[in-house]
Amino acid sequence: MDVFKNRLKEKPFGRRAFLKRFAMAAALSSSASATGCIGLLQNDDRFQLKWKEYFKNNYRLMTPQEKEETVERLERLAQIEKHVDIQMSSKSPVDGVLFGYAFNLTRCEGFMECVTACVKENNLDRQTHTQYIRIFEMEPGGMSPETGDGKYFHEVPVDHHFYMGVQCFHCENAPCVRACPTKATWKEPDGIVVVDYDWCIGCRYCMAACPYYGRRFNWGAPKVPNNEMTQKQHYLGNRIRPKGTMEKCTFCVQRTRAGRLPACVEACPTGARVFGNLLDPDSEIRFVLKHKKVFRLKEDLATDPKFWYFVD
Amino acid sequence: MIKKRNSYNRRLLILLGFGILWFAADAHPEQRNVLDQIKQTTIHRKELNPDEFDQNIPKQAVKVIMKYQGGVFWTESRKDKMERYPCFSCHSNTPEKIKSTKEIVHGDILLEHGKAEKPLSCATCHLKDNPHLLKTAEKINIDMDHSYDLCGQCHFRQKQDWIGGAHGKRISNWAGKRVVKNCTSCHNPHSPLFQKRWPKTYSPPIDK
Repeated sequence: MDVFKNRLKEKPFGRRAFLKRFAMAAALSSSASATGCIGLLQNDDRFQLKWKEYFKNNYRLMTPQEKEETVERLERLAQIEKHVDIQMSSKSPVDGVLFGYAFNLTRCEGFMECVTACVKENNLDRQTHTQYIRIFEMEPGGMSPETGDGKYFHEVPVDHHFYMGVQCFHCENAPCVRACPTKATWKEPDGIVVVDYDWCIGCRYCMAACPYYGRRFNWGAPKVPNNEMTQKQHYLGNRIRPKGTMEKCTFCVQRTRAGRLPACVEACPTGARVFGNLLDPDSEIRFVLKHKKVFRLKEDLATDPKFWYFVD
Repeated sequence: MIKKRNSYNRRLLILLGFGILWFAADAHPEQRNVLDQIKQTTIHRKELNPDEFDQNIPKQAVKVIMKYQGGVFWTESRKDKMERYPCFSCHSNTPEKIKSTKEIVHGDILLEHGKAEKPLSCATCHLKDNPHLLKTAEKINIDMDHSYDLCGQCHFRQKQDWIGGAHGKRISNWAGKRVVKNCTSCHNPHSPLFQKRWPKTYSPPIDK
């Protein structure tokens, strides 16, 4: 013990000495990791792809060529890591299109086929049971989903009740977009509010800003069995999101930009869901807006959602 | 001296005014109300470039005899989905040999249509001599593929909504050729009300 004490007296472990040692240790470890990296860079295709992915730009600042490249990289990464062949697109919005959605409260009977179709189409996490759509069983007279039952599981439709579906409303004046500190979410020219999953830091400000509970946070990368995965994907849509990011309904951007209907509309057995181009006066959605009694949720907040409810 | 200062003040005020106006105009330059956008721009279906979209329209579609606000449209055919079509394979000139043929062949049909008010019978819509055709109350014959015209004689409101797009739905595309579901694609014509059933899934509680 005495020897030890003496040593301490002789060589005081001061700030300077500590810094020196720390610097040396850091240099050593970094060089070791650097050589490791170089080795990986030379050998491992996966590492190289990931490295390039890490230093890519925000989607909105990418040139068309950069978009092509990142999509290609993600396709190859999926092949290497998960052994699935996916076709990812980065299709830009079509000119002269503004998407709108209408929900028929009279027709919806609460079968929830839209929810399963959405989970399947958008590769939602099967473990935590993530869902973008919620259906509420409502008492007559109530027009706010907060008064409804969102966890029902019994034979439907129940007499003297109606069903109300809620999802992201793609507000024209979206509060979530303004809340985002990294500009990882924005409104596309065709009206879809999207998230750049690789630019999202997972702070969940947007989730707090959304008055409709339209956004979901994932606590882990979605786990989807390979045989159930939707292979036609979009960079801003249903691709497998990284862990710890916000995700939400994108009006199935991978489908709708190709002229198809969203999965929920296609799955609805009662035809309660209407989707189309708001700028086309002949479209179904415009017919609904013109001839039906429509309303939007929380219109007093001036969020200007592109999602209307109507009754027959 | 006083005059000069006044003119200087006035100039400053005007400048300030312009500044405020400029700021007000620039606050949200791209923010436009949805309804304003709808009113200001009109793009008809045919103006969109068709190359942008997938064209996977079903081949078994028939042209609807009416037009919707955007012109002609198509609906799902019915005949190719009927189990025992064509009817003439059974309904020929040979007389029935067994008494209960009707029950044996068509006994699976549950007729629950117009329940309380005016129960329908087979003969309300079907012709006995010409079973492959339907007939309206005004004795107009209607092809099986165009059954919407028959349903529409009572359900005229639904028919109007169906033509416009508020009832029923398109098959797979919002863009391009408009192909919608027929009445019989979703409703069983003999008992058209949707049956009660269990939902396909459930939602976990929201953790707030």
